[in-house]
Amino acid sequence: MTRVVISGLGVVSPYGAGTKAFWEGIAAGTCAIRPITLIDTEGFRCRIAAEVPAEAVAAFDSSPRRSRADRMALAAAREAIADAHLSAEDRAGAALLVAAVGGGMLEGEAWYWEEARMGRPSPRIRALRSILPASHAETVGHRLGLGGPKETIIMACASGAAAIALGADLIRSGVVPLAVVGGVDALTRICFMGFNALKLLDTEPCRPFDRDRRGMSIGEAAAFLVLEDSERCRARGGPMYGEFLGAGMTTDAHHVTAPHPEGEGMIRAMTAALNAAGVPAGDIGYVNAHGTGTPQNDRVEASALRRVFREGGVLVSSTKSMVGHTMAAAGTIEAIATLLALQHSLIPPTANLRQLDPDVPFDCVPGVARPTPVEVGLSNSFGFGGQNVSLVFRKG
Amino acid sequence: MSAWSSEKGEGGRGERPRVVITGMGSVNACTVGGTEAVAAALARGRPAIAPVRAFATDGCRSHLAAEVEASMLSGLLNRETDRRLSRVCQLAVAACRLAAADARISGGPELGIVVGSEFGDLRSTEEFFSAFLRRGSAALSPLIFPNTVMNTMASAAAIALDARAASVTINQATIAGDLAVVRATALVAEGYATTMLAGGVDELSPPLYRHLAALGALSPMQGEGAEGCRPYAPDHNGPVLGEGATFVVLEELESARARGATLHAEVTRGVWGNIPTAPHTAQPFRVDVHSPVRRFLAELAPGLPTCCYGSGNGDPRVDDWEVALLQRELPEAFGRAGSRPPRSLAPQFGQHGGLGVLRVVAAALDAARERRPVLVHGIARGGCRTSLWIEPPP
Repeated sequence: MTRVVISGLGVVSPYGAGTKAFWEGIAAGTCAIRPITLIDTEGFRCRIAAEVPAEAVAAFDSSPRRSRADRMALAAAREAIADAHLSAEDRAGAALLVAAVGGGMLEGEAWYWEEARMGRPSPRIRALRSILPASHAETVGHRLGLGGPKETIIMACASGAAAIALGADLIRSGVVPLAVVGGVDALTRICFMGFNALKLLDTEPCRPFDRDRRGMSIGEAAAFLVLEDSERCRARGGPMYGEFLGAGMTTDAHHVTAPHPEGEGMIRAMTAALNAAGVPAGDIGYVNAHGTGTPQNDRVEASALRRVFREGGVLVSSTKSMVGHTMAAAGTIEAIATLLALQHSLIPPTANLRQLDPDVPFDCVPGVARPTPVEVGLSNSFGFGGQNVSLVFRKG
Repeated sequence: MSAWSSEKGEGGRGERPRVVITGMGSVNACTVGGTEAVAAALARGRPAIAPVRAFATDGCRSHLAAEVEASMLSGLLNRETDRRLSRVCQLAVAACRLAAADARISGGPELGIVVGSEFGDLRSTEEFFSAFLRRGSAALSPLIFPNTVMNTMASAAAIALDARAASVTINQATIAGDLAVVRATALVAEGYATTMLAGGVDELSPPLYRHLAALGALSPMQGEGAEGCRPYAPDHNGPVLGEGATFVVLEELESARARGATLHAEVTRGVWGNIPTAPHTAQPFRVDVHSPVRRFLAELAPGLPTCCYGSGNGDPRVDDWEVALLQRELPEAFGRAGSRPPRSLAPQFGQHGGLGVLRVVAAALDAARERRPVLVHGIARGGCRTSLWIEPPP
């Protein structure tokens, strides 16, 4: 079977633009969750999130008339393609899979607000053209000349991980030699208000796996990877950040917002990913957890991890403790965190973790990154609708 | 070369399972039901497009649509489990149940689902926002919020059918249903599930209809000519919206045979690609250079499809683009003087996420009846392109 490697990375995160800034931020354990500036939070209990800095957005090489999410996606995809040293010819045959949830909703909301308040049509109606999630793939595909299969994947908070799995399938089945895969979500009012309504947000920066955790923190990001046939990458001397070994994708079919109480779907996803990767659970040295910081998710995920890896059998940490829950981008940004952890032999920490929940029988790397050589890592992403995706990577 | 292919008897491909269609279910403006009902509706060919009845279109440039009558849907719902679902989720759940019953399958960890949608649940999004604007944060509904995420239809259907393998939602204009079938076929071939429900769904809602009309995305797009859906016609002037959900059951051939399933057709090729084009635009002069669809059609050219369903929906730019591509890539079938354009189902059912799946269903029924392969082709503004090769059942 064709082996798939990762030959390019691109990130726009709450630390700013660039994979380097992202890695330095999480390696230092810096929490980027701060008071929200993008939208009005008056009247809401939670008023914090991890925003991409304004100066980073202002520096994007794209028209400010595009939606914030389109611009973030374009910047991250451009970085990944440059990082992989892809030529125009390479790009012309590459697939593009973009994970998205909110689309250009931030600008769509501004239009809707204005019309509702003015009581008459607003010229901002053109924002609707990019309100749907498919807008990102259209923008990235057009601007970067990607001519292979193009898809917009929506699997809630597991979308980004699914884009990687489905992109790798296209390479393994011989459809394309290259796939640009990623996820993007900008902060939106609907996301912020919705999670407030569900009472799932912590008023302080989230504390995954902490005994006193109170919920999640929202973030925004774009993260892209270039997946490539390993032989092709080797032949052209391209960079190799690691190898994609396998994926598991399952559905709980249990509840729209709550995970299966026993983590049945999560266990099946992790097990399927290990089987697809052809590695036993004991070979996994690090799990980048979904780790949202909600009491329910972390408890169920810990229980599922215990079933798959046995107590204490693996190091576990949550990137969301630093950059928040970046929705559709979460699966890709956390896959990148996993790859970089393997590459640097440094496990990024779980920030804000002071008292480990006794129901979480794992070393969750509290506060400070841990130098640890690890060969194989697993990244978990779970989403509304009981969507579960696990990915397995090997060090490059 | 294809995204997914089942090439019978060719070395090296034997490991990939062959994928067959074993059931179908649809809730659309013309009919409700499984294979028999859809086949009868297709045979009748009676257009369901009519003036919108569910809401007022005063002040809109457009007034037509193909609507699903409330009574058609309500009879399919389970009062206990479905009453709190949004309408678009109800459409998806009902169609999935019909398809599952038609194929005589049950749920479990080997049943997955792929849903294609153009717009998702915009009605819920609008409802969520308007509640906030009217009454502030206290009015925000935690029950409505999950519907604003586009995978809500797949989630509801997965719960209703106990589909516990992969569940994927794809957002795509014009060819969402086609893409869902291609992707689901690939997921079966890749071993994510032995059986997939693959379909498309969209609903008409007042805000969606009004906004699309205001953007000039519906017939009459430029405000000229009579409103109506006239794909590939000289006076085509825009699509007319439809609504509904249509799903097919895709299954590994061996698994289907083992349980004695009815085999309607085989999906032997499913490819998709992209012609890089500015968002929301169609460029009839832009040729397909790199997409796997072009390579697939080039391979196909000597065999010539005698029947082809196209995605033409009356949008002049997209209709013209599709015809130009097919004339260039399949000149024997579409480039000769007097050649007919592909067949379009848009005038009958209206444009919506389920339309592409209705094309697949029509192709499967034709292939089985006439014992010949049928091509299903699609292209959308933005350049996404699909092609499926449907063959008679093995």
